[in-house]
Amino acid sequence: MMARTNWLGEFLKHSVLLAGAIVVLLPFYLMLSYSLKSPAEIESNTGGFVGSQEIMTDRRCIKAGKPAEECDMRPIVYNYTAAFSEAPLVRYMLNGVFVTVSIFVIQVLVALPCAYALSKLKFWGRDVVFGLVIFCLLIPVHAIALPLYIMLAKVGLTNTYAALIIPWTISVFGIFLMRQFFMTVPDDLIDAARMDGMSEFAIVWRVMLPTAIPALLAFGIFSVVAHWNDYYWPRVVITGNRDLMTPPLGLRMFKSDLDGNEYGPMMAATTVIVLPLVIIFLLAQRRFIEGITMTGMK
Amino acid sequence: MAGIVLRQVTKTYGTLRVLNGIDLDIADGEYLTLVGPSGCGKSTTLRIIAGLESQTTGDVEIDGRVVNEVRPSRRDLAMVFQSYALYPHLTVRQNLVTPLQLRDMNFWQRIPLLGYLAPGRRAKMSKIEDDVRKAAETLKIEPLLHRKPGQLSGGQRQRVALGRAMVRNPAAFLMDEPLSNLDAALRVHMRAELSELHRELGATFVYVTHDQAEALTMSDRMAVMMDGDILQLGPPDEVYEDPRDIRVAEFIGSPKMNILPGRGDSAGRITALGVAVEEALAVPSEGPLSVGFRPEHLHIQPADNGACFSGRLTYKENLGSDVFLHLAVEGIEGKAVIRAKPHEADFADVGEDVWFTGEVGMARVFGADGKRVALAEPQLMRKTS
Amino acid sequence: MGRSRVHLWFIGPAIILMMGLLILPVFVAAVLSFTDYNLGNPSFNWIGVENYDRLVSRSTYKKMFTASLTYVLLVVPISVALGLGAALLIASLRIGGELYKAVFFLPVMATLLAMAIVWEFALHPIVGVVNDILRSGCDVGWLHALLSGSWLGGDPLQSWYGHACAEDFPLWLGDKNYALGTIAFIGIWQGFGFNMVLYLAGLTSVPRELYQAAHMDGADSAWERFRLVTWPMLGPTNVFVVTISSIRSFQVFDTVEALTRGGPSKSTYVMVYAMFEKGVKQNLLGIGSAITIVFLGFVLILTLIQVYFVNRRVHYA
Repeated sequence: MMARTNWLGEFLKHSVLLAGAIVVLLPFYLMLSYSLKSPAEIESNTGGFVGSQEIMTDRRCIKAGKPAEECDMRPIVYNYTAAFSEAPLVRYMLNGVFVTVSIFVIQVLVALPCAYALSKLKFWGRDVVFGLVIFCLLIPVHAIALPLYIMLAKVGLTNTYAALIIPWTISVFGIFLMRQFFMTVPDDLIDAARMDGMSEFAIVWRVMLPTAIPALLAFGIFSVVAHWNDYYWPRVVITGNRDLMTPPLGLRMFKSDLDGNEYGPMMAATTVIVLPLVIIFLLAQRRFIEGITMTGMK
Repeated sequence: MAGIVLRQVTKTYGTLRVLNGIDLDIADGEYLTLVGPSGCGKSTTLRIIAGLESQTTGDVEIDGRVVNEVRPSRRDLAMVFQSYALYPHLTVRQNLVTPLQLRDMNFWQRIPLLGYLAPGRRAKMSKIEDDVRKAAETLKIEPLLHRKPGQLSGGQRQRVALGRAMVRNPAAFLMDEPLSNLDAALRVHMRAELSELHRELGATFVYVTHDQAEALTMSDRMAVMMDGDILQLGPPDEVYEDPRDIRVAEFIGSPKMNILPGRGDSAGRITALGVAVEEALAVPSEGPLSVGFRPEHLHIQPADNGACFSGRLTYKENLGSDVFLHLAVEGIEGKAVIRAKPHEADFADVGEDVWFTGEVGMARVFGADGKRVALAEPQLMRKTS
Repeated sequence: MGRSRVHLWFIGPAIILMMGLLILPVFVAAVLSFTDYNLGNPSFNWIGVENYDRLVSRSTYKKMFTASLTYVLLVVPISVALGLGAALLIASLRIGGELYKAVFFLPVMATLLAMAIVWEFALHPIVGVVNDILRSGCDVGWLHALLSGSWLGGDPLQSWYGHACAEDFPLWLGDKNYALGTIAFIGIWQGFGFNMVLYLAGLTSVPRELYQAAHMDGADSAWERFRLVTWPMLGPTNVFVVTISSIRSFQVFDTVEALTRGGPSKSTYVMVYAMFEKGVKQNLLGIGSAITIVFLGFVLILTLIQVYFVNRRVHYA
């Protein structure tokens, strides 16, 4: 508590944390570095971070019968063009955006009115419904993936966007979080809105939604991060149809398609998929950490 | 028991200076209050005494010993915090025992379970239990010893916090706004209890508050602090009657002192709001002045006798025994407040213009720099007038 | 009056979806776990508890439980301890705390599957960077001496490092003795930052005055203050962090599916992967459902333990 700094202690703490940071950052460093270097440099672990960027020849390009001068390129160009040409990366990314956004929008459409009813309306059976929500919190969707898969298969929905989205449309966690948040909104605000002549629907979307923006933002971060990164569920319901694959699943396919020494394009694809969230995270770091903590702590 | 001395203590955070050289001499057994608005540096001063923060320059002496480099726990002080800072996971008894264990037992004796095997633990523990029982008795918290802080009311927690300070029998008690979390009635009650406790223990109390009423009612001496300086240090009566600075005059007393803009002239005569005042300057000089009257020193007049201020009565605040008359007076911001007996103000109705005068000899005059200006002795006054 | 029924519009969709997507599947799994059902086969037989019987008797499933539990027992304590340690260090720093926080949280945000692939490259036995670094230490005399323990007079070949220098470094994911540990390492790498931010949030909610009181009471060392204030005040955070880490690590799948497919010799055959392999890939829905039910049982037990600890604690008003 004494304001005098213990410089030795401070130095030791930084040393420990720095060592940890190096281990944590190692794969990110390798990912970026490999995505820039030529296969030879990767295999021999030479060339530092960016490699020498000597002109190399694209063998697939030669095989495709194109003139040799068109097939000579820098490793960085080769890696990234290969990533985009060998796999429908753009398609994967668009799928990812479509699926994550759809999930989040539907989750809010379902959860917000329910949370409002559970926190601010008095009706018969309210406690039972809330009990159901609490009970459902115990069921991780990943755990019941198999019966969900069977049900979707029975109605013929596997290998569709619907299969990717439907199981996540209900977020009991979202309902719980919103309800807890709405409990802190004063009843007077709602009564005032009723006095102003608003319908219950208008109250939900024009009064409660704006007050819930911070909680929604936190929940949005949680939801988007979880579903952009989710690999398990897409792996279960999408079998073979590349047009429907989300980024992690597409990356997995890319990996099993490639032969041994195509590390460069592989890492380029990985970089492209990992980078969007990482960049957004670094830009809005504080919000992300607060959001994840807020949703994490319930 | 010990006196505490601060010598030219300053504190800066980066470029922000929060204490500008505090000198303070607290006598053994004294009840000294540091009072001031929030941000004036009173809490920082207390925490520097406690050792929770270190001063930028200057010395702190406790019982004649410079303690600048001494850890908080070795200064033989106890502190009562605003939030009480009781350990929520420990019972009241454990809360009281903890400081004694930390002080009196060695590392081995303090280890949970294993410590029971350490030699000498039993004797020390029974001595500690004795001390705790005594403190609990004094504060009447014996029935609470086995509860946790979460199960206590605000007043009970307050007592436990006092108890935790008391068990160590410290040289001095430091209290950081200890009553501010209590409701109004309990706060008034605890004021009396604290004063009683101080008398009983005979220990030095250093008490920080932003509530001038607490400072006036409880302390032997009070130090009024503003912007990192002690503006005035003295017994409550003296600070109230004889404020050395316009800021002190306005801060101490409720409702606060009425400040009327005025002027002095080269003959030493004083006017306030353009009306001549009986008092005169000891050292005549021309320039703007502020003339202060406490509400009880303004008197409402049924008619203008030529030497009256006037204002429109906007509100009569009836307290039963007294009435506060709020007046809108041209030339001053806010309202002037007059304290009167109910019958004295019978004739005045809200919305009417009324006349009032200041009591002779009760004007407190401040210069343009805010410092008190000396007035001529009353005999001289008569001569000049 | 409209208001008396309007709530049905609000809770209706949520209730229908909860029933259909969460409750019903549990029942479906429970029912199917007593059958030999598979997709594409119109009829099925009731086979009683045969599926469960297999789970407890077959060595494959014994390996499954061992792999899952070992994984949880490796990842939870280490990632919780690292999270707490990082949080305590960062909270006590004068400068740079925000930077470390962002760095340690990065793996939480990054797509696990993608990062698993990068780790696979890094851990490649021949061209991987990890073994490369380890190998390079063998040629540096003092480092080799330090790591192999020969500076204490031990035989370098007896130590792990000295032995590996002489033979070669492990195959990591390809060696059944190392594979699960390696997968767990990736799990810890990915998850401890999450625990760290939860602990940091827990730490900021500890009132500063309590630390000051501890100083006044004579808790002079950092350890005393940790024992007297920090640790007890982190109680609720501890319960939560341990539970959520356990549930998360029970669900490990991405790394296993991408890197080892349960191998080598079932050493990384964790429950969710088994569920996927049996149910989805091999169309053995009965046994897959039985694993699902057992899995749900584990999650329920973990949550009940959490509820018990949370309720036992008296909160500070």
